[in-house]
Amino acid sequence: MKQLVRSQGFGAIIGVAVMLAVFTVIDFSGWWTVQTLANVTQFTSILAFVAMGQALVIMTKEIDLSVGSVYGLAGVAFITMEPALGVFGSLFLALAIAALVGFLQSIAVVKGQLPSMIVTLGGLFAARGVIYVWTGGSVHNFSPAARNHPLTRLLGGELFGIEAAIFWLVAVAAILGILLWATPFGNRLLATGGSRESAESRGVRTDRIKVAAFVLCSLMAGFAGILTLCNQPQTHVTLGENMELEAISAAVIGGCLLSGGRGSILGAILGALIVVSFRYELIALGAPSSWYITFVGVVLIVAVIFNQKLARFLGHSV
Amino acid sequence: MNFKKSMLLSALLSATAIGGVAHAQDSEKQYRFVMVSHIGSNDPNMGWLTKSMEEFEKRYPNVKTEYISTNNYSVQEHVRLLEQAISTNPDGIAVPIVSSDAFEGPLRKAIEAGIPVVAFNIPDGRPEGERIPYLTYVGGDEYLTGKKLGEYALQKVEAGEIPKPTHVVCASHDSAHQGLKARCAGMKEVMEKAGAKFDELFIGAEPATARNTLQSFLQANTDTNYIFTVAGWSSPWAWGVANEMKLDPDVDDKGVTVLTVDEGPVSIEGVRAGHILATNSQGFWLQGYAPMEWLYWNKRFGLAPQSDILTGPVIINKDNADKWAELVRGVFGDKAYDEQNTW
Repeated sequence: MKQLVRSQGFGAIIGVAVMLAVFTVIDFSGWWTVQTLANVTQFTSILAFVAMGQALVIMTKEIDLSVGSVYGLAGVAFITMEPALGVFGSLFLALAIAALVGFLQSIAVVKGQLPSMIVTLGGLFAARGVIYVWTGGSVHNFSPAARNHPLTRLLGGELFGIEAAIFWLVAVAAILGILLWATPFGNRLLATGGSRESAESRGVRTDRIKVAAFVLCSLMAGFAGILTLCNQPQTHVTLGENMELEAISAAVIGGCLLSGGRGSILGAILGALIVVSFRYELIALGAPSSWYITFVGVVLIVAVIFNQKLARFLGHSV
Repeated sequence: MNFKKSMLLSALLSATAIGGVAHAQDSEKQYRFVMVSHIGSNDPNMGWLTKSMEEFEKRYPNVKTEYISTNNYSVQEHVRLLEQAISTNPDGIAVPIVSSDAFEGPLRKAIEAGIPVVAFNIPDGRPEGERIPYLTYVGGDEYLTGKKLGEYALQKVEAGEIPKPTHVVCASHDSAHQGLKARCAGMKEVMEKAGAKFDELFIGAEPATARNTLQSFLQANTDTNYIFTVAGWSSPWAWGVANEMKLDPDVDDKGVTVLTVDEGPVSIEGVRAGHILATNSQGFWLQGYAPMEWLYWNKRFGLAPQSDILTGPVIINKDNADKWAELVRGVFGDKAYDEQNTW
């Protein structure tokens, strides 16, 4: 219990508990239905993938604004290359493209000594532009054979009546959790974000750590795009638009500090749950859907204040 | 005398020759017309406009047309693009009046500077004397689009083919687009008269977010039985959400009924597959071609039409969808048509 309280995702756990309590009080019969929960968890799992990757980058004291475009680019590559490469081939190509974008951006950041905000902002525009050129503004579709391919069903179908994306989220989150908390890589990642000079003085190759974080982040975004399209196999040029902002919000609500060195995988998932749930419930309660973005802003600011106060209360430096 | 005669003859010939040259030069005068659009490479409808402008250039080789557009449904960016286009001093501009207030300043300035303007796709919705003094408007009537589709649906209700509307949701991807608002308003008028509740829902253009938003609305408003998507490409999202929720969204006498817009492959094939009750054509091809033609005639001969030129709406339903499919395939080609069918 003590460890849970001291964990970086504790603020998000409190946030989710409060949110669920409020939703239960004001909309019990609407919120606690299988349909609502299935919908919220499915969309949460997609956003959570992107948020987890973002959390890794933020932990290294960087930021990745390109994830929404990478999500879209990987999705578009997956669908449009399928006729030529098959489902397996286009899946690997899409992931390779995502990883390449992450790698190139990370090289620009660590070797070029450029701010990640600028580099990934450029990446955001560049990848979105490629989507426009690649698709010619048109929507594209999977062939019936590709839709029924076992791999497509495994990634985008249902298992035991539950969306496959949720199982993938649990599996990937577990792997990342182990990577972060039970391997030297996790220590080095947090050390890089906490104090780069200190980490380097202890032999941590911080450049490599940052490259790995960016590549992992892009891969997660790309994988999320592929999962989405396996579920709903239609591309659109707006695929992933503004997702970077939701992902950053989710990571920060989940306890990631933009000053680096602190964050959690569980927190990012819970942050995504909060973001998606708020959208869902606001609309369900009859609020104009345009209000959702305002609430995300308010929740984000409240979460940052709360997380900082919580961290100070627990004796962490922020 | 002979000298005088020959001088007169020479003068006459010279004048004729000069006149001829001048005439030839005039007819070969190069014009440059710019279409500043909000229908960018993120919108498959762009193809109608660019292809019809290509046809126009073939017909009028002394005219160079340019198509520039935004990609992100931003009025602000559209205005910036318009101001950039005006600063290049073109011979004419065609532009959709996405926001009368935002476009008023730059367009009046351009018109005062002698650049003729034709509004296309979306007119200035204000009364005649108050609107931006463009030459004419060429395009559909967005309000009529919603209204005619609504009226068509009610005809089918009377025929017992689809359920009576109880609650209609108009799903829009751009909350600032007055043309989309007008579509919703047209549908609203008809449906409220028929006794149905009506809501406008901003779903955004990102597929996952849009589906999530629509699903939460349908979950909370279980009496909703009509979905009107004001973009053709969002109709499969609406149908998919309703289908996942087991709301029976195919066209029959029960469940949810989906209506959409546009003459793109998604909309037409949705109708043909029985997923969508009806869509509409607003004559996109003409919206690219006719504004260029009027700009040309205005520059060349000083002609100006005395009223708006409506290119739609034309209802596309199961009776004429095959014909429309054939027409659209002819413009887009089979490959692009099939790729864009996302059903």
